[in-house]
Amino acid sequence: MNRAILNQLDVEAEKVVAKYDQKKAATLTLLHMAQDKVGYVTPEIEAWVSKWTEVPVVHVHEVVTFYSMYHKKPAGKTHIRFCTGTSCALGGYEKILSHLKKKLNIQNGEVTKDGKFSLEEAECLCACECAPMMQVGDKYHMDLTEKKVDQILDAHK
Amino acid sequence: MSEPILSRNFNIPDAHKLSVAESRGAYETAKKVLATSKPEDVINAVIASNLRGLGGAGFPTGKKWQFLPKDNPKPVYLVINADEGEPGTCKDRYILERDPHQMIEGIIISAFAIKSHKAYVYIRGEYVEPYRNLQAAVDEAYKKGYLGKNLFGGTYSLDLVVHRGAGAYICGEETALLESLEGKRGLPRLKPPFPAIVGLFGCPTIINNVETVACVPHIMKNGAEWFVKLGTPTCGGTHLFSLSGHVKKPGVYELPMGIPLKEIIYNYGGGIKGDKQLKAVIPGGISAKILTAAEIDVKMDYDSLKAAGTMMGSAGIMVMDENTCMVKMLYYATKFFSHESCGQCSPCREGTGWAHKIVTRMYHGEGTLKDLDTLLTIARNMEGRTICVFADAAAWPIQSYIGKFRAEFEAYIQNGKGKDLKPQEAVLQHG
Ligand SMILES: Cc1cc2nc3c(=O)[nH]c(=O)nc-3n(C[C@H](O)[C@H](O)[C@H](O)COP(=O)(O)O)c2cc1C
Repeated sequence: MNRAILNQLDVEAEKVVAKYDQKKAATLTLLHMAQDKVGYVTPEIEAWVSKWTEVPVVHVHEVVTFYSMYHKKPAGKTHIRFCTGTSCALGGYEKILSHLKKKLNIQNGEVTKDGKFSLEEAECLCACECAPMMQVGDKYHMDLTEKKVDQILDAHK
Repeated sequence: MSEPILSRNFNIPDAHKLSVAESRGAYETAKKVLATSKPEDVINAVIASNLRGLGGAGFPTGKKWQFLPKDNPKPVYLVINADEGEPGTCKDRYILERDPHQMIEGIIISAFAIKSHKAYVYIRGEYVEPYRNLQAAVDEAYKKGYLGKNLFGGTYSLDLVVHRGAGAYICGEETALLESLEGKRGLPRLKPPFPAIVGLFGCPTIINNVETVACVPHIMKNGAEWFVKLGTPTCGGTHLFSLSGHVKKPGVYELPMGIPLKEIIYNYGGGIKGDKQLKAVIPGGISAKILTAAEIDVKMDYDSLKAAGTMMGSAGIMVMDENTCMVKMLYYATKFFSHESCGQCSPCREGTGWAHKIVTRMYHGEGTLKDLDTLLTIARNMEGRTICVFADAAAWPIQSYIGKFRAEFEAYIQNGKGKDLKPQEAVLQHG
């Protein structure tokens, strides 16, 4: 299944690589592209990126493990990054995070049984003016309350 | 402040779209500069304007541009640092998301000045929505001939690539950013050579913050003298201050360089939430040393804050009321630095992890008085001993929180506070 998806991405990959002055510079972008389609970074994806960037697979793997946004194992359909930075702490995020955990019945780094959500306690996401906040999928949700968290989760059901 | 400059379009609906931006004057200055000025004219104007880098270090922008080698046969790159990650800071997000054309116009004029024909914007990976607005703005600019070959029908050409990071605070450090942009782990490089000599792909490179380049069109439009007058004698212009924590009206405020910190907190921020007493303020992002309530009579500019023993940094102001627990605040600071250390230099890799372990234990009621001195020793052994200043930044919260609130730390330890913290708070796992 991976292979078919990656074959489809080849057309786009060629355009991406062409934008950069050196092929290896496309590494992060290609990883984002493939992860968006597959859900996490598989060994096939690493090999595919290595093919396009002409850097050894081991080097691609090193990159994957360095950056927090690349999932090394399957994430939920919607990934939640909950900000645990200083401003969110001043805004009392702990209570809202435990509410979210109770609701999803998962801890940091886990995926819900139905595979719908995964949770990551993130470092500062730089929306400090609207603390506490979390990122659900791509979107920033700010000035969180327990009620707001309920509404956001319901909208993703 | 009379007229907003950098933030003038922040509340205009759809200002990220080219038609709206152009109706508000976007690209007029770039067109004029490219048609009538020489690159040296721009550099001279930027030098005369006293513009200083707004990414944290406050280095004079025009002077940095002059470090580029003369008669250089290699391509020159302009790289924009949009990796905003300093806790307490949210200013660049406003430009990227709400007024990307302002930054693109700044990139055009800045790249023209340094004779670069290729620019990269490195935007933090989590900023997906700002990225979409920015990429759409770049696409629109290309379509109209404002980017690409022969800008505005003239002779100058410039390509612009938006590049997404993938979650690593250290990539905000300029040489780690270059490594990351080259497709590698974000490990800072030894300096010298500085990026102006050996930067991206081994070529001369200028790295500037989003807000820094956004200032450039305004300088070219209104003149260097106008920009100088907005600020202090050593630093021109305004700054986007991010205000968060226990204030009534948190937000991003554009205010002149040198504005008193008190005025930001009590006038613009509306004072302390619940009308409580102020306890402490971090003036420039988590890396800046903390100020006690008695120390906030300070102006917000690079020199004044330095004189006050702290720094402007990213101008991320975090306000703490009388009920704030300093042990808990230090816990959050050490958690951040231990999670984000890139691991390249041992004093930092080991020091940040060790400090966080001790502070976590202390926070949960298992600390000893000796721990305080151990922490200070760890901090001293991180300062000035590593490739980049991340380790120094990790040391400063330890030194300043314990240094200024030692009695509170001692009381917390002696009274066995923290023992009642819920276990789920205790198992915050990171990395
Ligand atoms: C650990 C660390 C993190 C940094 N993060 C950022 C950042 O997120 N954004 C930024 O513009 N500069 C950041 N900087 C500063 C950059 O290294 C660099 O000085 C800046 O991008 C230069 O642009 P300027 O002169 O326009 O400010 C960071 C520096 C360090 C040491």
